[in-house]
Amino acid sequence: MITSFIHRFSSPKSFVEVTARFFSYVMYLGLFLLATGWIWGLAFAPEDAIQGNSYRIIFLHVPASIFAQLIYFFMAVCALMHLVWRVKLAAYLIKSSAPVGALITFIALFSGSIWGIPTWGTWWQWDARITSTLILFIMYLGIITLHSSFSNAEKADRLMSILVVVGVVNIPIIKKSVDWWSTLHQPASITISEAPSIDLSMLYPLLISISGMGLTLIALGILISKLYIITREKTKKWVQNYV
Amino acid sequence: MINLLTHEAFKLRHRLRAWLGPLLIMVLVLIAFPLSIDVSQYDLNKFYFSIIVVSLLVISFLATESIFSEDYEDGSLEQIYLEEKDFYKVVLTKISIYIFFIGIPMSLIGSLFSFANGVAADETPKIFVILTFSTLILFNIFSFGSALSINKGAMLGVLVSLPLALPVIVLLGRAIRTVQYGEGFIEVLSLLAGVGLILAAVMPIIISATLKTHLE
Repeated sequence: MITSFIHRFSSPKSFVEVTARFFSYVMYLGLFLLATGWIWGLAFAPEDAIQGNSYRIIFLHVPASIFAQLIYFFMAVCALMHLVWRVKLAAYLIKSSAPVGALITFIALFSGSIWGIPTWGTWWQWDARITSTLILFIMYLGIITLHSSFSNAEKADRLMSILVVVGVVNIPIIKKSVDWWSTLHQPASITISEAPSIDLSMLYPLLISISGMGLTLIALGILISKLYIITREKTKKWVQNYV
Repeated sequence: MINLLTHEAFKLRHRLRAWLGPLLIMVLVLIAFPLSIDVSQYDLNKFYFSIIVVSLLVISFLATESIFSEDYEDGSLEQIYLEEKDFYKVVLTKISIYIFFIGIPMSLIGSLFSFANGVAADETPKIFVILTFSTLILFNIFSFGSALSINKGAMLGVLVSLPLALPVIVLLGRAIRTVQYGEGFIEVLSLLAGVGLILAAVMPIIISATLKTHLE
């Protein structure tokens, strides 16, 4: 029953048709929330008592860091679907998400590096969290390279899925690195199980930035996936009709 | 299983370059390092471990680079696949033989060199045990990289498997610090052994699936 459900709703054709209905809403809402969160955070949120204005980079750095890991987790779920149920769409989504993941991980690393100067006095530190995020960035690049190394696309999809599933072991290491090792990087200020340690006047714009970036990335992911699906399925009749 | 072990050991024994090459390179790297710095200015034994760890990482990759490629090229893997033999057993045997003939001697070389560079005699066996478990982990990870990038060159193998090996290096560095400072050795060793044994059991399944994908 699960298998038939998955196959029915996960054909590339259904994906393109369904996402076309809400793509523009997701994109505009995401951009609106992102702009609101950033303007609120950069112009109206109060100055931090210790870090001064330099803390404002959190409105870019924190959402980017969260989605750097979440995108990989999403890819791992898709990889499992591809390996277990042989869902073609799942492989297309992994292939399309990897460049988005690499970009957002680079933004997380770069913004963290900029933040490092006023807070730690250095651009780069071989710290557990930063190093494991750098490893995640290299993994994204590895996944992209692996897929492009094979001319047989189906074989490339399967090998890429195996690598993504194995690489998911890095996600808990990144997440818990600040708790497991003594590190310069601060622990998370927002957790599901505890009350946030950040003031509400800073928390609200941060949450809006996170939601905005999430929706914008979903829209970007849909756009790239759609282009990739059209390229991969170009011989199919529905694509010729669609284009 | 015994037949498989004997068969794989026999095959490796005849591939002189595959097992002797990595060991000689390891010895040369460990000899070259002290020559490249002025030992009178530095306390060599404090950071000699770093070069052992890094050389272990690189040589483990070199050693496993052709673990499946020769069998893939000469058609042996395809034959095993067509005969529907248990791929898991074949992969497990292959990795075990490589660890036995290359990994353990590498660990021995590493611990002997650390002894020669100032580690106390009673701590050298601890270094050997740490390095042995590390090679168990690294050989499994790099065999996976080698299986993924079969016939596509070493660069791809490094790119896909090295990120998985880097957390192991952090753990290995921590284990070596416990030897240097004498605290928490058993805890870190247990963690290293646990990770090693889990990987040794699980990785052959993943590698089998990867090789089957290449052969399908």
